[in-house]
Amino acid sequence: MHPLNWAIVLGWIGFVVFIGLRRSRGTRDVESYFLANRSLPWWVVGLSVMATQLSAITMIGTTGQGATDGLRFIQFYFGLPLAMVILGVTLVPFLHGAKVYTAYEFLERRFNAPTRSLTAFLFLLSRGMSCGTIIAAPAVVFSAIFGWNVLWSVALIGVPTVLYTMIGGVRAVAWVDVKQMILIVAALLAVVVTLLIKIPVSPVDALEIAGATGRLRTFDFSFNLNNTYTFWSGVIGGTFLMLSYFGTDQSQVQRYLSAKSVDEARSSLLMSAYWKIPLQALVLLIGVLVFVFYVFTRPPLLFNPAHERAVRDGLPSYYALMRREYDGQQAVRDTVARKLAAAITESDRREAAQQLRILGISLEAMRAEALFTARRITGQQTRDVNYIMPRFVLEHLPLGLAGVFIAAIFAAAMNAIAAELNSLATTSVIDFYKRWVRSEGTDAHFLMVSRAATGLWGIFACVVATFAVNLGSLIEVVNRFGSFFYGSILGVFLLAMIPRAKGLGAFVGLIAGMAAVAAVNFGAPSVSFLWHNVVGAVTVVIVGSLLSLGGSPTPRPAPRR
Amino acid sequence: MNVEPAETDAQRFRKTLIRVMTVQVVALLLLWWLQVRFTS
Repeated sequence: MHPLNWAIVLGWIGFVVFIGLRRSRGTRDVESYFLANRSLPWWVVGLSVMATQLSAITMIGTTGQGATDGLRFIQFYFGLPLAMVILGVTLVPFLHGAKVYTAYEFLERRFNAPTRSLTAFLFLLSRGMSCGTIIAAPAVVFSAIFGWNVLWSVALIGVPTVLYTMIGGVRAVAWVDVKQMILIVAALLAVVVTLLIKIPVSPVDALEIAGATGRLRTFDFSFNLNNTYTFWSGVIGGTFLMLSYFGTDQSQVQRYLSAKSVDEARSSLLMSAYWKIPLQALVLLIGVLVFVFYVFTRPPLLFNPAHERAVRDGLPSYYALMRREYDGQQAVRDTVARKLAAAITESDRREAAQQLRILGISLEAMRAEALFTARRITGQQTRDVNYIMPRFVLEHLPLGLAGVFIAAIFAAAMNAIAAELNSLATTSVIDFYKRWVRSEGTDAHFLMVSRAATGLWGIFACVVATFAVNLGSLIEVVNRFGSFFYGSILGVFLLAMIPRAKGLGAFVGLIAGMAAVAAVNFGAPSVSFLWHNVVGAVTVVIVGSLLSLGGSPTPRPAPRR
Repeated sequence: MNVEPAETDAQRFRKTLIRVMTVQVVALLLLWWLQVRFTS
């Protein structure tokens, strides 16, 4: 990487650590460390929530998905605004008014200690592992694209983040998130402008080309349980997923618990809903424009340079033949795309679009064969889609702008990890250490324990990342792991709103929910994971309600003064 | 001197909610337009 790009990346990381440490002033006790004394303005909380959603995986993977698959992934987020509204009216006022530190603390007041401990434990397990994969995913890509030692990538992402999170707490995390979001959005917009300049046809013609290959088809109204990206799975399954994630996952709950008031907490949630769909659409559109760019510029056969090298060195004559055929088809596609852009009559336009579609299918088939060969030679999953954006950035963005975009990827990774580390420490200290080990102590003692917990989880995340970089499939395993729990945990919180629900019902219901999800996952593996949340939540509510039949309603827990 | 009553929390929440849903509807309409205009 060019020294200027290095200077930008390292300079930004240094700036972020400086901001984070500066914001740590005034952190004297557990309430200021974990909840910023409930003093954060709603727009800071809102931007912070948005920042935690925009991880490096979004910057790298979602852009790549836009390039290969188009805009339909956006349907995944259709449930988010609905979920935010529902939470704003129901759970947020409740949790904020309860003056709790964690969502699980509320569950003990409502039900019992075992339910609190089990849900808190499930959160620690799934979040702790996912924290490692959030570091590992970009580290693997940087290693392949830039030739960096993968452990150095893990350290460059993990160490600064752990530093400002450990010392500054949620106040540092939230204010750093604000700065990082500005960089990320600026980088995304700059890339869009660059792409529109570099693509040799007009923006409208670029969209015509993308549309001809189906990449602008956003809405799929078919009802197919096996298809993750449909309107219905996004609205129904997605709403349940978002309700669970934003309503019960401590990494999100902690954000709005740190708002000044219930109203500001609700506004912060709504603010993150404001821009989620447009921002994700922008990220996907960038991927679509990268695809159009490569229609007019010779693309690599495989975007992962390590895998491309492996095929070229392992089967040189096969690679040369594939490359020649691919380049030949690519040149024809270039010509047809220009014909589409220049078409005047509707029939010329349709004919060129049809040819473009056929060429696209042929080129995709060649790439699929090359990917299969790479998998055979290396013994690894290729995940080529994650390398499209970084390869484009390295080879085609102007000097300096590439550094800005790479800094934005670091920013996105750091945002996501910081929020998770902070929430992991909160749950560890409040739901386990204070609850089961030592309930009384000075502010200084608990602050020290909180900082230590943050540091330990940071080390754990870096260690998991170090293993995950060598076990690519682990990232997928961890992501699917979370889908076992989310819906069921949401079910427990839904059950909490039913006056007759009892502790035993909640605890057994939670286990039944996870068992039901496991049954669907292993019994009907083709069903999209988005439906798992619905299955888990509904099972918990039904089982929990049935077990709670009889007896009088449990009085609502009084809010803490 | 006339003093306007301060906006209640519910009114502020409703106003923000309307703005949020408007942005979503506009975004969805734009995506729908892209699909209809550029996809055969």
